[in-house]
Amino acid sequence: MKNYRLLSLILIALGMALMTAAYLRKPAGSTPNTGLSVASALGNADSAGYSRAHTPRPFHFPADHGPHPDFRNEWWYVTGNLSDERGRAFGYQLTLFRIALSPTPAAPDSAWRTRQVYMGHFALTDVAGQRHEGFERFSRDALGLAGAQAEPFRVWLEDWELASVSVDFLPLRLRARQGDLALDLRLDAGKPMVLQGDQGLSQKSAEPGNASYYYSYTRMPTAGTVQIGAQSFTVSGSSWLDREWSTSALGPNQSGWDWFALQLDDGRELMFYRLRRQDGGSDPFSSGVLVAADGQTRHLPGDTVSLQALETWTSPHTGDTYPAGWRLRVPAEALDLTVTPKVAGQEMRLTVRYWEGAVSVQGHAGATPVSGQGYLEMTRYAEPR
Amino acid sequence: MTPLLWRALLRHPLRHPWQLGLAVLGIALGVAVVIAVDLANTSARRGFTLAMERISGQATHRIVGGSLGVPETLYAQLRVAGGWTLAPVLSGYLPRADQPGALLQILGVDPFAEAPFRALSALDNDKASGAFDLRALLLEPDAALLPETLGETVTLRRGGQSFTLRRAGILHGAELDGLIITDLASAQVLLGQPGRLSHIDLILPEGTAGEQRAAELRALLPAELRLEQPAMRNQATANLSAAFSLNLTAMSLLALVVGMFLIYNAISFAVVQRRGLLGLLRALGVSRRELFIGILGEALLLGIAGTVLGTLLGLWLGLGLVQLVTQTINDLYYVLSVREFFIDPLSLGKGAALGLLATLAAAWLPAREAADALPGAALSRTHLESRWRTLLPRLLVAAVMLLALGGLVLYLSSSLLAGFAGLFLLILGSALLAPPLVIALTTLNQPLVARLGLLARMANRDAARHLSRTGVAVAALMVAFATTVGVGVMVDSFRGGVAIWVNDLLNADLYLAPPGIEDGSANKAHLDPAVLAILRSTPGVAAVSSYHAVPLDLDGRPVTLVAAELAPAAQAGYHLIAGDPAQAWAAFQSGAAVLISEPLAYRRQLRVGDHLQLTTATGLRSFPIAGIFLDYGSEHGRILLHHAAYARAWQDASIGSAAVFAAPGVEPRVLRQRLLERLGTVQALVIRSNRDIQAFTLDIFDRTFTITQVLRLLAILVAVVGVLSALLALQLERAREFAVLRATGMSAAEIGGLVSLQTGFIGAIAGLLALPVGLLLAAVLIFSINRRAFGWSLPFEVDPLLLLETLVLAILAALLAGLYPIWRMTRTRPAEALRAE
Repeated sequence: MKNYRLLSLILIALGMALMTAAYLRKPAGSTPNTGLSVASALGNADSAGYSRAHTPRPFHFPADHGPHPDFRNEWWYVTGNLSDERGRAFGYQLTLFRIALSPTPAAPDSAWRTRQVYMGHFALTDVAGQRHEGFERFSRDALGLAGAQAEPFRVWLEDWELASVSVDFLPLRLRARQGDLALDLRLDAGKPMVLQGDQGLSQKSAEPGNASYYYSYTRMPTAGTVQIGAQSFTVSGSSWLDREWSTSALGPNQSGWDWFALQLDDGRELMFYRLRRQDGGSDPFSSGVLVAADGQTRHLPGDTVSLQALETWTSPHTGDTYPAGWRLRVPAEALDLTVTPKVAGQEMRLTVRYWEGAVSVQGHAGATPVSGQGYLEMTRYAEPR
Repeated sequence: MTPLLWRALLRHPLRHPWQLGLAVLGIALGVAVVIAVDLANTSARRGFTLAMERISGQATHRIVGGSLGVPETLYAQLRVAGGWTLAPVLSGYLPRADQPGALLQILGVDPFAEAPFRALSALDNDKASGAFDLRALLLEPDAALLPETLGETVTLRRGGQSFTLRRAGILHGAELDGLIITDLASAQVLLGQPGRLSHIDLILPEGTAGEQRAAELRALLPAELRLEQPAMRNQATANLSAAFSLNLTAMSLLALVVGMFLIYNAISFAVVQRRGLLGLLRALGVSRRELFIGILGEALLLGIAGTVLGTLLGLWLGLGLVQLVTQTINDLYYVLSVREFFIDPLSLGKGAALGLLATLAAAWLPAREAADALPGAALSRTHLESRWRTLLPRLLVAAVMLLALGGLVLYLSSSLLAGFAGLFLLILGSALLAPPLVIALTTLNQPLVARLGLLARMANRDAARHLSRTGVAVAALMVAFATTVGVGVMVDSFRGGVAIWVNDLLNADLYLAPPGIEDGSANKAHLDPAVLAILRSTPGVAAVSSYHAVPLDLDGRPVTLVAAELAPAAQAGYHLIAGDPAQAWAAFQSGAAVLISEPLAYRRQLRVGDHLQLTTATGLRSFPIAGIFLDYGSEHGRILLHHAAYARAWQDASIGSAAVFAAPGVEPRVLRQRLLERLGTVQALVIRSNRDIQAFTLDIFDRTFTITQVLRLLAILVAVVGVLSALLALQLERAREFAVLRATGMSAAEIGGLVSLQTGFIGAIAGLLALPVGLLLAAVLIFSINRRAFGWSLPFEVDPLLLLETLVLAILAALLAGLYPIWRMTRTRPAEALRAE
């Protein structure tokens, strides 16, 4: 469960506003807007009037693959590690966020008017080329510019798209293109769906309703092409899909998070997020899951996982310093893993700044050596300004 | 040059503040008018550029459509297909409800697509809570980004509806004044254009890659849409008003020319008055060169003072003129919503340089005269006058040559610039003709004044005797008054032509249109399809015409296509200046051919039988031109096409307005009431009588020519100052002469009469000479300048009252100039004035 991407919802709102702030920027010479005042205008959108996640609910598919417009936020979050036949490794991320601007329907006065807005993040890491590029887009759920539907499943933001190949939800086709980079992948059924948290209800803080509905596909065999400029690579690998919708916000003491989605080569997956508190400690709502090779899941409460940052990397672009390697231990499972970024500079310098990238895993499960790969997200490491 | 020499030279002007003041005022007025007009032109142009830039932003290309703009679905298709940097734009103009004349520009954008295109400052950093509210902008139809000058809310009007917009963010900066930014959804509602965009902005790469992408895109576009480059389009639009700007500039230069005469007059007078001093200085060893530089330096000081004053005056005047220029451009060319008074240092520099150069040029001859003074001998007045006399034949030859050259230039070249060059040559030639004409007139007058007594004879002879004074004064006055006559006659003729045209063209009894046609916002409003049928079936209606104006693009330049169904009486209202009427109207009725307006034919060199290629919704179509009609309605040109043919080719059956001819014996007022009742439930329409619309048209005409009238008034002002300064100098110089006359027994009243007669006589000569020259100018303005600038042919109409007015004004100004010398003369005892003798 990548619960704490919920936090990013605040940032999304903030980001949208920032984006607009950048677009309608003050003339040169004035101080750059920090976005704080804008965040208060848009980010703290009242949760009143939206649906909230209070109790576990039965999931209905395929309907639940589609949008839940009564909740304020929702996303389709895909990450994956790929390599071509000669072993050249790539990482990718495509996230499509739905953000409701209002709980009530918008005036029907123009085809452009809508209360639903989509934000997309797309990133590609070329490990051999030590290159990482991240992009961002916004569009509205109008005129077919962006949107989501359950049957046949499709979510898109212009030409960034995740859609079912046929009437069934799986396999999926993922397509994204920006500048001279392009992805065209087929994501097949791998391991069964995992309901995160308590039967799909993922509690974010002590406040009732501050929770999301959350499910994941933790291992999806993937094949397709990666295009970088004139070069085209035929790739295969494994992807991870997270689906989450909610109307929730950060708890008052929560300051940021470190999130791990690891696919081990013994057939298991480990997801863990640590929510950092403002005093530097870990929030008790930190949480994770261990998925066995047969799909059985075991919940990992925050205090069952120990995390230790090994070294740091400072972005030459922003000056922000992030942990550049982690030691992750689950004593109860005898797991001791070292998580290392495949490329140090996988910073997403978008309207929201965060580090998200492909990682490799080395370690032991008991006495057995284990390795793997996955994706790591680290947020809110910006120097306070 | 020694300080002593400076002091010797400068003492004189300081002791004669009147002369000094008038000379400075002359140059100041000339400089002021030049600067004011230039500032107004520059501001208008800059306003246009800013407005275009804020619309175009970083776009290198744009997709534009025909009459209905661009369908929004095309944008969505391109966007979702991916690979293009593009943004949708819907822009238009709406009047404020509380100030119907003030148009605000609505710019509807998709904030999410904007980032690469436009950098508009909206965030108010000073108020943390007042930050720009994207959420409101997207969701609330009344949320908008407003310029700080508009306040919290603004109410706009479109047709009969009003819309109150609320500020969701502030647009900072003068360049954003008059602009309102909304989300596209809100803009579609405000402008009443659901489903439509004005254009799609694009950023394509430079060079061959960009051309390749452009070609790719063109292949995707439906027939009625085009890909164009905004920079080129903006240039074409800006050029539309270039002729208008040139006209104003030429008129302002005329003011400077008159100012030059005044300077010449003042300096040469100052030289003559100091002939004793100058001779003395030469005798004391001051070299010619020093004296020449001294006089020029003195003139330069005057010039500097006049230029400084003129610059200040010009700034003040420009502030007023920019409003008039903007108004005219709004009426004639395109909407200028930026009304910024931009003080261009270049304009000020140009004006100042012109002022100083004019001063030096005008002072050159007098300075040489002064330097030529024989040492020890007084530079005698008689010497000067006799020199002028010897100059007369040469002046005459030069004048004739200039006039001939002017005529030749006008005849040989058809460019606007050559038109103005010819005009200036004619003016200069006429000015040189003034001194010989003064002599001729006074000679002709002699038998007449001989009968009027001694005083009249003296007055008449004096005018000829003081030719160095009177010749220049008369020339300056003549140029100034001729300008006012020329411009006055031109405007009168123009107005007369427009009045006849509008009277013939609008010959139906009643005109129906959706509300809002006055402010242009009804361009997009249409008549309900049921209206025409109701009109035709209403008793008392003899015939109905319908019109639909569509902005079109002909080779990158805007024209208006009028899709019309014309009743025979309406056809009769068009004056065909080319093409056989019977054939032309038959071809028009069949829909196979178009009629075009005169300006269009003139600009594009089109004749009857040529073909127009028009981009229609069904592809490129070729229409033969069956006739050319007289039209003052659009400088850009109009194309008249039968409505049925338009509807087929453009697949658009909409109708913008209708005209109704009442059956014989039916009172239009009664018919209007009947129509209002029958149409009330179908559509709310404004029904006007032809007289209302004619008055409305002439109102716009008058508004357009306000600036011309203002410039004309300024020319008159300069002329009056000219009369005052020239004649004042002349009469003041003669103080001793008057003293002698008084000492020999003439009464103060008699001498007052003499002075008045003399100045009045000179005023009359100037006024009389101004009439033929003015008419010549009018002819050039009407038949050459206007035709070249606008493509209009105008009638030549002279209002005798205007001519009389000019004459009276010239004489009155001259008489006014005599008052002060008379007053001074009566105040001084003759003995005192004679003491120096």
